[in-house]
Amino acid sequence: MNEKIIIIENLVKRYPMGETEFTALKNINLTFDKGEFAGFVGPSGSGKTTILNILGSLDTPTEGKVVVEGEDVSNLSEKASALLRKEHIGFIFQSFNLLPVYTVFENVELSLLLLKKSAAEREKAVTAALEWVGLQDMARKKPPQLSGGESQRVAIARAIVKRPNIVLADEPTANLDAENAHIIMQTMQKLNEELKTTFIFATHDEKVMQYLKRKIHLQDGRVSKDETMETKTLQL
Amino acid sequence: MILVWKLAYKNLIRAGLKTWLNALALSFAFVLIIFYNGMIDGWNMEARQDAVEWDYGYGHLRNAGYDPADPFSIQDGHGILPEPFRKDLTPVLVWQGTIYPQGRMMPVLIKGIEVNQETVKIPSEILKTSTAGYPVLLGRKMAESAGLKKGDPVLLRWRDKNGTFDAVEATVVGIFETNVPFVDGGQLWMSLKTLQEMTGLHDEASFYIANEAYVPEPIDGWTFIDQETLLKPVTDLINAKKYGAAIMYLLLLAIGLLVIFDTQAFAIFRRQKEIGTHIAMGMTKGEVIRMFTAEGAMYSIFAIVLGGLYGTPLFIYLAKNGISFPVSGDTMGIIIAPTIYSVYSAALIVKTFLLLVISATLVSLLATRKIATMNPVEALKGKAL
Repeated sequence: MNEKIIIIENLVKRYPMGETEFTALKNINLTFDKGEFAGFVGPSGSGKTTILNILGSLDTPTEGKVVVEGEDVSNLSEKASALLRKEHIGFIFQSFNLLPVYTVFENVELSLLLLKKSAAEREKAVTAALEWVGLQDMARKKPPQLSGGESQRVAIARAIVKRPNIVLADEPTANLDAENAHIIMQTMQKLNEELKTTFIFATHDEKVMQYLKRKIHLQDGRVSKDETMETKTLQL
Repeated sequence: MILVWKLAYKNLIRAGLKTWLNALALSFAFVLIIFYNGMIDGWNMEARQDAVEWDYGYGHLRNAGYDPADPFSIQDGHGILPEPFRKDLTPVLVWQGTIYPQGRMMPVLIKGIEVNQETVKIPSEILKTSTAGYPVLLGRKMAESAGLKKGDPVLLRWRDKNGTFDAVEATVVGIFETNVPFVDGGQLWMSLKTLQEMTGLHDEASFYIANEAYVPEPIDGWTFIDQETLLKPVTDLINAKKYGAAIMYLLLLAIGLLVIFDTQAFAIFRRQKEIGTHIAMGMTKGEVIRMFTAEGAMYSIFAIVLGGLYGTPLFIYLAKNGISFPVSGDTMGIIIAPTIYSVYSAALIVKTFLLLVISATLVSLLATRKIATMNPVEALKGKAL
């Protein structure tokens, strides 16, 4: 039996909007197994990013239950939710969110610093992560010296360097050209296969969708379709 | 906690010129605070030392009727101190008189002092060796205002203890240089014995100056005023100057702190994505606030390092060569040496260090506490503020 890494039950998320409320997510029920390569797909405003933020414990549900790595994120203290993110979740953002004054190495190293890893452990893990994404020669460069594709690969290395169980990627290819988008997706696919890391995407990019093994279609905050795909395996 | 400081340090160092410009602004306040307080402390130390060496000694044993602030007490404020109590004390008799330099009438305070004394710097030995009939000493200021020089005769007139007028021709046998206006202006020093004879107050004194070995004991009709009490007006006056001038460097400090506040407040706005990223990577808001606050505190530490670099040679120079004052203190009635040598105590440096670090930390905390209300999701998009 597959290990359930995420359980979502009757999830509702509402936002105040003036005197009324906007319901971004309506009664979502889903589970994710360890090692999945899945994605929320749908048009803008369908609730993809909202659900990803809740899974990442950056936001909380209005109603329902979301259990990530055995922790109910709706009841977590700030400290506990920070710990959950620090130890188990890696993030990849659309605009990379790299720290501009740090080098590539230091950007990737940061999550290990937060985990209080020793210098030797950090050196080893960062080098390995940069090798996975093919940026071992760029360790001393700073983000402004990198292309969009390279920046996103640094962001991937930063997300996976601590070997999290879950990586949440919000529109990871939105700022990239087609070639770089494929390279990024292939890199993540490889990491998913080699490290058994669970990848969950939020995207409306067709280039991303073709790599997903599971597509969860969101429409107006509801799951309209949950399909498991036969994905092509690409040679890197 | 160490990690927060490490990250703050890295952020500041990597920010380059911006960091050093902010630190430079704050370092001016640091250097000025130390410079000014060092100068005041130097002045205070010299003034106290001068007052002790020229007048106060290790305290005054005053006749109960004598009050140096009350001229009416001079007439009756004197007496004979029993012999057994006179050990380690230098007697001074104070009397009123008038001199007539170049025909002008000038009231003076005549002070008779034991010529063999070594307790204060009044050069009384000149009185002992002089062959003049009525040798007197004047301070430079008094000599200038009276237009008298060494060797000049001057008519001195006084009343004896019974109120009978008498006059003699005194001779100025010495003019001494002092920074202490209250042994100079309006005063004429002569031998105690001579003054006692002139006034008929044999063996009497208005007060005694104690030397280091003197042990105070209760004596009927006499009051001992210790050195610290005597020095209090001097210290109070200098401290009043200190507090008044503090406004100047506190304004400079406020400008430096405003720079930090502005930088940090702007940094929160500009670095929203960075804040969101730190939270997404597992930092709590409290840790992010601490990191930004640590950056503010580090500005002050950098300012201290920077201020130390250019301030230390200046401080060393001022401590060795001093600052010359064009205006003599005796025209203002306060003790100011012509050259003030700054004194930089460890306490001054530590206090200034703490003032800067604590104020910069608090100001930075004020600017960064907004992070506590930030929504991390909006921060990641750079739209939290």
